[in-house]
Amino acid sequence: MKTILCYSLVALTLASTAPAQEVRVIKASGSKTSLDLSAYGAAGANGFVFRQTLTSDLEHCGWFSMIRPATFTVTGSCHDNAGTLTVDCQVLNVLKSSAVLSKTYTDSSANARQLAHKVADDIIMAIKGFRGICSGRIVMIGNGTGNKELYTCDADGGNLRQLTHDKSISLAPRWSPDGSKIVYTSFLKGFADIYMIEAASGKRSVVSRSPGINMAGAISPGGGEMLMVLSKDGNPEVYSKSFGSGQLTRLTRTPRAGEASPTWSPDGSQIAYVSDMAGAGSPNLYIMDRSGTSRRLTSRGKENIDPDWGANNLIAFSSRRGGLYSIFVINPATMEERQVSPSDASYEDPSWASDGRHLVCTKREGHGTRIYLLDTMGDAPVCLTPYSGSWSAPSWCAK
Amino acid sequence: MNTRFAVSMILVGAMAFSMTGCKGLFGKKKSSEGLTDVSGMTGQGGLDVQNGGTRIGEGVGQVVNAQLSAVQFAFDSALVDDTERAKTEAAASYLKANAGTFVTLEGHCDERGSAEYNMSLGERRAQAVRTYLMNLGIDSTRIQTKSFGFEKPKDPGHDEKAWSINRRVEFVVMK
Repeated sequence: MKTILCYSLVALTLASTAPAQEVRVIKASGSKTSLDLSAYGAAGANGFVFRQTLTSDLEHCGWFSMIRPATFTVTGSCHDNAGTLTVDCQVLNVLKSSAVLSKTYTDSSANARQLAHKVADDIIMAIKGFRGICSGRIVMIGNGTGNKELYTCDADGGNLRQLTHDKSISLAPRWSPDGSKIVYTSFLKGFADIYMIEAASGKRSVVSRSPGINMAGAISPGGGEMLMVLSKDGNPEVYSKSFGSGQLTRLTRTPRAGEASPTWSPDGSQIAYVSDMAGAGSPNLYIMDRSGTSRRLTSRGKENIDPDWGANNLIAFSSRRGGLYSIFVINPATMEERQVSPSDASYEDPSWASDGRHLVCTKREGHGTRIYLLDTMGDAPVCLTPYSGSWSAPSWCAK
Repeated sequence: MNTRFAVSMILVGAMAFSMTGCKGLFGKKKSSEGLTDVSGMTGQGGLDVQNGGTRIGEGVGQVVNAQLSAVQFAFDSALVDDTERAKTEAAASYLKANAGTFVTLEGHCDERGSAEYNMSLGERRAQAVRTYLMNLGIDSTRIQTKSFGFEKPKDPGHDEKAWSINRRVEFVVMK
């Protein structure tokens, strides 16, 4: 009897564990809207590029399942004619027999991919009522030339462009919140200095070259200030520089610790950053408000690094636990945290995508890393840089 | 005492020369960057205020092979171990015996962890050696720090042995 009871308990425990995971999976796929693109027509080489990109975008955005019969159908066609792409797109709610989108687009054939990203986001907006990430841009570091240069690519990894030709080491690129500039650190003149590149013109200027390191430039949500990690006064500390007055304010004072990777809260009232003030070899995340009061945010794991504070008010970071680095998301208000990367490899250096659902991050593959799109709602990670070389430090352009 | 003062004056002169030399290479001198420091702690760290923030030897210095061994560090540590002190002392002796030279301390880390945190850690390692050199009587104006994080491993391997070789501060002597 005892044995039977014991077995039943085990069975009950298993039963309650397994369905819980199933429920999560069912819930995730249940949250997807069915979409049918099979009737969408295409003609001409760039017409096919358009349709392929559109299909891939809608498959990977996380909100749709491509099954038939579907609740929504996308019909229309795309024609590539004498260098001009003409796109006709209707989205129909089959259940209500009503069109939610009916639009014609024209663009240069060379912009087929960009136009597909735009149409994909329009379809997401028409069906879901919020902006998709398909038109997003990413800046990252690649070492394919033998040097660490900045590259940009689309949200799906396509349209790869080399942005710098510094023949040096680039570090920590970040977009300005308005998407007009990229701030990064380069050893261009032999030392780690901070530079700013105007995205439109490619014009570059030096922002900080004080003695020691100049790292991690992060422009505030309002655009008026920039966080930096400088060691000009000794230890690496976090500083804020006002673009208007040029005034530099030191934010941390930790003579026996180093700081790194400051990131702004969405309203600009707080910052999160890395410090090893709790002990060398144990970098953790801390939060500081405008009054200078700081508190420790993370306590689990051997290392907690690379924070990125999203517009959704959640902080993504990487944490070394059990030999692997994994991406975690923490709510700074409730201190609740959860792992969002699979346990098949080390995932590091997250940057929130603009939908607050996805992240770009690195995944270790062999001795290098590649950039992946990671879904916090459970879809499988998607590799964005199947190119040769090692890819790191992705930053998502919020605009 | 007088001799030491004279040496200092020569050094100040040398620095002024380097600053002038710097203008030619990099155009407008950007030593201050228009930054106002409200911390009240200018010049305590990587390089002293005597240089006006300009890097020592920038564009004019020549690297000297001083045959100094790199100081090695424990994992995630920025402390100069007792076993490594002799290397720093050898560097101090060299700098004392060779007036007119200066040293860049290059801090390095192993490949584990974030690029950004390792930049801070490498800098702290360089500054730990800097502090030790200053305690041994080397003038702070002859020392500057630099961090490469994990960007320049000495050993290209990916094991404990390579990692321990790569956690180091190198003495790059210039004149």
